[in-house]
Amino acid sequence: MRFSLLAIVAVALTWTDATAQMSRQRAEPNRPVAELFWAPTVIGTASVTNLSAGDLNYTIKHAFGLVSSGVENLYGLDGAANIRFGIDYGVTDWLSLGFGRSRFDKVYDFRAKANILRQTVSGSSPVEVAVMGDAGITTVKSGFELPDRMSYAGMVMFGRRFSDKLAVQVSPMVSHINTVFIERASDGTVLREENTHFGVALAANLKLNELFAVLLEYVPVVGDRSDGTVDAFSVGLDIETGGHVFQLFFTSSDWLIEQHMLARNNDDFFAGDFRWGFNVNRVFAF
Amino acid sequence: MRAYLIAAVLLALAIPVRGQAYMTDSGRAEFDSRVPLHTFTGTSDVLVGRISLPDSTVDFYLDLETLDTGIGKRDKDMKKTLETDTYPFAEFFGKLVSPFDPAGGTQPAVVRGTFTIHGHSQALEVTGTLEPTDDGLRLQAAWELNLDDYEIKPPKLLVMKVDPVQQMRISALLLPESESGT
Repeated sequence: MRFSLLAIVAVALTWTDATAQMSRQRAEPNRPVAELFWAPTVIGTASVTNLSAGDLNYTIKHAFGLVSSGVENLYGLDGAANIRFGIDYGVTDWLSLGFGRSRFDKVYDFRAKANILRQTVSGSSPVEVAVMGDAGITTVKSGFELPDRMSYAGMVMFGRRFSDKLAVQVSPMVSHINTVFIERASDGTVLREENTHFGVALAANLKLNELFAVLLEYVPVVGDRSDGTVDAFSVGLDIETGGHVFQLFFTSSDWLIEQHMLARNNDDFFAGDFRWGFNVNRVFAF
Repeated sequence: MRAYLIAAVLLALAIPVRGQAYMTDSGRAEFDSRVPLHTFTGTSDVLVGRISLPDSTVDFYLDLETLDTGIGKRDKDMKKTLETDTYPFAEFFGKLVSPFDPAGGTQPAVVRGTFTIHGHSQALEVTGTLEPTDDGLRLQAAWELNLDDYEIKPPKLLVMKVDPVQQMRISALLLPESESGT
């Protein structure tokens, strides 16, 4: 009996060595989930996705005139387009810095985004959290001093990937524009603008396949708002080309940075006031 | 008494077998990938491998999440293409089919087995070199991997079509299993 046991142990040791594969172990079991959004912006607002260290992201954003302007304006393409060129750089895997320039109001803006929590595949962190701040300077000739030209946005982004297909983001945000106006409309109505708006931006990325994903972005104001300010809504398509991320969309807003998108959108998507736009994102190693 | 003797012999045989296996968990894996006007290299330094000389078994695997091409966005895209959440490893399991002299110098080595990536397996023969050193075994090997064979389909819109043929290289110093701590 003892011999049998010894023999079995000996044969098992030899046999195991000769035939067994090693067990496969993940190098980093607590790694972050796949990126929630394919680009640093959802459509008009920042996404919780950040750049990796050393990545330089060049962005071109366009928003054209209203589609409802008709065929004579080629459904908005003849209208004044807002354009923003921007560059963001991943200083670390959790911090990026950037700047850009928008055509409307000739705004130069500077921004920083930091990821303070990453969602992990192990579930040890169920959400991704990032904060973003942007400071804009309007440079149209107006006689205003620098402080009067400033505008600011702040966002705290909470994101979660629910599955391979679906990622969702909820972002409390604030917009502050130092100089606002009181205007009288042609019918005599007095239109007042607020300096500060609060909102909660909602965004989703629904992956269709490795190339395409549907984007939704809704930016409702919470609390007081300027007269005429309407909650912005956008729907778009992410296209991943293996080098670029193209974002094609319809949006109510022709403002391309957060503080203006929240506070100064005057068009109602669901009343038919939306426009065509696109973003192009290209990442370089730097 | 004879029975115990036989058992002891079997155990004695088993112990050297375990002693002549070599392992690493810090091997280097590289691939060269070509897109129009550009070539980039992906690397990882956590290639795990084991070579057992008595039975000629060769077993290697790489966690594909550890590949780094130098651009974070490209890494993320590559991992999406490889579906690393579903198929996390590239792995080879096979046999050393060429003769090997543990007392010799650098020697050509041929391994034959099965390579698996992206949930697809193909028979593969790889030629490389094995070099006994004071520390263990030094391995170098290279081969071509055709993405189409493993149904790996990188994004190919516009001009960014990736050449399906990838140049693969691995190198590692494998330590005696008892010393490798693995």
